Amino acid sequence: MSNKDIISVNLKVWRQDGPNDKGRFEDYSLKEVNTHMSFLEMLDVLNENLMKEQKQPVEFDHDCREGICGSCNLVINGIPHGPEARTAACQLHMRHFNDGDTITIEPWRATAFPVIKDLVVDRNAFDRIMAAGGYVTVATGNAPDANAIPISKIDADSAMDYAVCIGCGACVAACPNSSASLFTGAKVAQLSKLPQGAPERKQRVKAMVEQMDKEGFGDCSNFAECEAVCPVGISITSIATMRTEYVKAMFS
Amino acid sequence: MEVADKTTFKWDSKIPTGPLTEKWKTHKNNVKLVNPSNKRKYNILVVGTGLAGASAAASLGELGYNVKAFCIQDSARRAHSIAAQGGINAAKNYQNDGDSIWRLFYDTIKGGDYRAREANVYRLAEVSNNIIDQCVAQGVPFAREYGGTLDNRSFGGAQVSRTFYARGQTGQQLLLGAYSALMKMVHSGKVEVRTREEMLDLVTVDGTAKGIISRNLVTGKIERHAADAVLLCTGGYGNVFYLSTNAKNSNVTAAWRCYRKGALFANPSFTQIHPTCIPVSGEYQSKLTLMSESLRNDGRVWVPKAQGDKRHPNEIPEEERDYYLERIYPSFGNLVPRDVASRNAKNVCDEGRGVGESGLAVYLDFADAIKRDGEKAIRDRYGNLFEMYQKITDENPYEVPMRIYPAVHYTMGGLWVDYNLMTTVPGLFALGEANFSDHGANRLGASALMQGLADGYFVIPYTIGNYLTEVTPGEVDTTHKAFDEAEQSITAEIEKVLNIKGSKTILDFHRQLGKIMWDKVGMSRDEQGLKEAIEEISALRKEFWSDVFVPGQPATYNKYLEYALRVADFLELGELMARDALDRPESCGGHFREESKTPEGEAKRDDENYTHVSAWEFTGVDKAPVHHREPLIFENVKLTQRSYK
Amino acid sequence: MASFANALQSQVGRKILTGLTGIFLTLFLVAHLSGNLSLLIPDGGEAFNRYADFLHDLGPLLWIAEIILVALFLIHAYIGISIYRNKKKARPVDYKYYKSQGGPSKQNFASKSMLISGSVILLFVILHVMHFKYHLFSPETYMTSYNGEEMVDLARHVEVAFLNPWIVAAYSFVMILIGVHLKHGVWSAFISLGAKNPKITPVLYVVGGVVAVLLAAGFLLLPLYIYINGGLS
Ligand SMILES: Cc1cc2nc3c(=O)[nH]c(=O)nc-3n(C[C@H](O)[C@H](O)[C@H](O)COP(=O)(O)OP(=O)(O)OC[C@H]3O[C@@H](n4cnc5c(N)ncnc54)[C@H](O)[C@@H]3O)c2cc1C
Ligand code: HEM
Ligand code: SF4
Ligand code: FES
Repeated sequence: MSNKDIISVNLKVWRQDGPNDKGRFEDYSLKEVNTHMSFLEMLDVLNENLMKEQKQPVEFDHDCREGICGSCNLVINGIPHGPEARTAACQLHMRHFNDGDTITIEPWRATAFPVIKDLVVDRNAFDRIMAAGGYVTVATGNAPDANAIPISKIDADSAMDYAVCIGCGACVAACPNSSASLFTGAKVAQLSKLPQGAPERKQRVKAMVEQMDKEGFGDCSNFAECEAVCPVGISITSIATMRTEYVKAMFS
Repeated sequence: MEVADKTTFKWDSKIPTGPLTEKWKTHKNNVKLVNPSNKRKYNILVVGTGLAGASAAASLGELGYNVKAFCIQDSARRAHSIAAQGGINAAKNYQNDGDSIWRLFYDTIKGGDYRAREANVYRLAEVSNNIIDQCVAQGVPFAREYGGTLDNRSFGGAQVSRTFYARGQTGQQLLLGAYSALMKMVHSGKVEVRTREEMLDLVTVDGTAKGIISRNLVTGKIERHAADAVLLCTGGYGNVFYLSTNAKNSNVTAAWRCYRKGALFANPSFTQIHPTCIPVSGEYQSKLTLMSESLRNDGRVWVPKAQGDKRHPNEIPEEERDYYLERIYPSFGNLVPRDVASRNAKNVCDEGRGVGESGLAVYLDFADAIKRDGEKAIRDRYGNLFEMYQKITDENPYEVPMRIYPAVHYTMGGLWVDYNLMTTVPGLFALGEANFSDHGANRLGASALMQGLADGYFVIPYTIGNYLTEVTPGEVDTTHKAFDEAEQSITAEIEKVLNIKGSKTILDFHRQLGKIMWDKVGMSRDEQGLKEAIEEISALRKEFWSDVFVPGQPATYNKYLEYALRVADFLELGELMARDALDRPESCGGHFREESKTPEGEAKRDDENYTHVSAWEFTGVDKAPVHHREPLIFENVKLTQRSYK
Repeated sequence: MASFANALQSQVGRKILTGLTGIFLTLFLVAHLSGNLSLLIPDGGEAFNRYADFLHDLGPLLWIAEIILVALFLIHAYIGISIYRNKKKARPVDYKYYKSQGGPSKQNFASKSMLISGSVILLFVILHVMHFKYHLFSPETYMTSYNGEEMVDLARHVEVAFLNPWIVAAYSFVMILIGVHLKHGVWSAFISLGAKNPKITPVLYVVGGVVAVLLAAGFLLLPLYIYINGGLS
């Protein structure tokens, strides 16, 4: 944590022209980084500088910059979303770095998340997992009154704990095996806590797990690294829940 | 491009006749239906996958139409709706505090300062309850009471508790609900979602919408999509101010291209400035972060009584603090509507009583609430917001009052639509924040989510059929010359912007535009400023087209190229906003004209002359647009000067 | 319904199987250890030899148990290895810089070396069986008799082996590796088998560590005792 208002940093940024390019690190140095800046604002400044020299800016994904859309995906100094726990890269501020630090920035790396350019990757595999079963089948207009089925506050809160996943993929990026279990488990666990969607519970877990396999993610070894980097702190109990749901689906 | 004849232009807002409370029911009974086996012959493009787009695409897919949905993010789930925090309104009256459809309607119309259509707003209030039912059925984990029933909170501009919420992530949960419904339809094959694909033009044939031109943002390839109807659900354009609470990629491009193709743009200057945002901290600032309005349920807003009081807030004694909202508006207190709260914050800062380094901030203090309910209760209610505040500012709001300042948040203006949500281009519909329909001159908190979902789940599935029955499906395909022309012009535009290779960055222009907009078309506006703004924006636009530097190649992933095209459109929109503001010399809702205020400094409407919607017709980039006025007729509510005292 | 065969191929199914086999192997170790510890009863190895003889006399039942045990090992090892092969496929280009976030992360020496510790255990088990069951390294067979009952003096066999410093060193090393394997393994198996109460999982992690230490220490006790003591009694 820096006490200074202005620091300078050296950046080692992964540059890759396209999916088939081998890629390489490039070094940049930035003087005069205000420590109240967010990490992405620091990259904005880098890109402004590059463009002022008519050079190619670094491509990175971002949108809300509030830690909720799940767009940003940077591996900062070896950790997805950077050194601050429970903080998406866009919510990381430069005050967590020191004057003269060298900061490495890499993209998510996984077969299922191919690099598009520089730090931008393709995460559509997550959409396909969701399409396989991450929903309650209810057609518009068919719903009973919202209070018709009471749900205990404990269950509702617990469902919410799992529902807050922002779909960023940091769990995959951090996992030594590139497993998507935390993401998939979070959805399965959320819906397992609610009476809605109970009729298709078994089908759901089976289909989502199958799709997860197909996408080329790795197995889960219970390293819990995913939970450690998850910006919203999804617990690996979601993975355990996915497994019990799966067993229930298997024996019925 | 067909532009309707200016002199003979006829309004038809298609509002059904009959009593207000019966209009929607009657209309639903009267709309023409598409035979189920015919539905699959119709192709519909849904541009945008926010609450409006995702709910529309899912519902239309369920009905059996072929739907293609587009979004610029890498997943439909990342649409900007995800960021909404506070909640969604509905007239369920679960709290038994006297709420009703009528009250929700009335609050919304009044909150909008009587610049919205009665019929639309009433319909919105009517379907609000179905939305909650639908979302719960999808598995949206709304907050609940111990007994298992749904919990509510109160929001600004209302005296009942009707806001449903899921912690501080209501938008996220609602969008994930709609997204899951969408993915379900993707699974069934009825909907195709094209992510990272940006609509760059509307294709019209004989003035009717028949498709779009888009750019695949990964490969840079220009694509053509033909359809029988196009639904624009592309969100708001607050980013014209550069700094706003909108996501960085939110933009006006799709709507703007439709405007250029003949869709009227309504009330473009009606912008909501949200009172509770984290203040700007420096030049590098790239966006502003909203602190949910729900915080005003428990937080008390104050500034020091004395000017330039630089003491630490906790050292300023009670009697030297001015809880100005409670003082000026005793009955609504801290829960006055957003426009009122924002303007008052600006006023106290203009008086030199603002706090923080820049003097552009006021305090939002939770000390009393923590004393009353305990820190745990406050943490349960706002934990994640407090955490976010601390991450950004490095200050602990449990101990030090938050510093907040107004920021651009929402745009009430948008494409003009009739009661069926169709724009003036037949076959082109606009839903959600992209249209102008329901919020008048000011939107009440928690009603944008309601509107987006109302449009997508409960309105468009009925009204689109009415249009489609008159269309032969698949009439036009992508080989039509209208597609050739549209594609060529987009390709040429991209070439052009890439070849300028000027000396200023896109950001330079966007910042400069933002500053003009904030200073002159922002929280308070006057004739002189607006006229200057028109001049300055027009000059800035010319400079952009001669001196901007856009890096890279057209046929690759190139985020700065996307950005350049969006800023180019903002540079046209900004001017239109200033014109619109200039042509409305009254104050109403979020639109405050210095020339029109009460002796106490409150906004003063001029109902005699301005009870209308302003809708603008494009005539050419550097030409003055034509101003049309749709009169607003109020048969059910009496227009009163809003008072929250 | 997910068919069982499908389940074996799915990541989740596989993981549940690793957990199940792991737990059963751990239980086997507990049983094995309690048998071993009977050597420490100062009765000249009688209890231990009788126990071994009892097992031997089970005949076909013992074969079945042995087959199950071998199957457990094979399934467990096969899946364990395939998890590591998948891992390479799932991330062919590795990070140039990679660091654990810490906090709730359970990445540590133990969890990162599961394949290595497991493989060494596998190798050891083969040698171990050859050694004590098929007398590979010590061809002579000691016999003893209790109340006229003639039986193999396995205790003596063990004693002889553990008087050899090389064997003691190698054996101790592997026992420590078993501890390391189980430090992550026991906890991991609980999660694999669905432990999902967030209040309990941290406790399980501690329990896993304790089980690992106890088992390793238990297995270490015997060789060290024999070696230091210069024999069983
Ligand atoms: C920080 C914040 C908090 C808010 N909180 C609340 C709240 O508590 N309650 C409330 O009621 N409202 C709230 N709002 C307002 C509300 O969130 C929005 O008005 C609403 O979500 C807009 O939904 P939408 O579907 O119209 O558009 P969006 O969600 O903005 O979606 C736009 C979609 O269009 C796509 N798109 C845009 N341009 C193109 C293009 N050219 N081609 C292809 N696709 C395109 C995008 O990819 C995206 O999918 C909040 C807004 C903000 C900024
Ligand atoms: C006495 C013998 C053994 C015992 C008691 C044992 C126990 C365990 C346990 C309890 C687990 C955790 C299971 C889970 O994560 O669900 C585990 C995991 C593992 N075991 Fe073993 N094991 C033994 C032998 C072996 C052998 C012979 C191998 C051979 C390679 C092996 C390789 C592995 C691997 C690689 C893992 C980690 C699996 C993963 O990454 O998810 N183990 N073991
Ligand atoms: S589980 Fe956490 S890390 Fe994984 S995608 Fe969801 S939010 Fe991101
Ligand atoms: S940019 Fe949206 S989560 Fe980081």
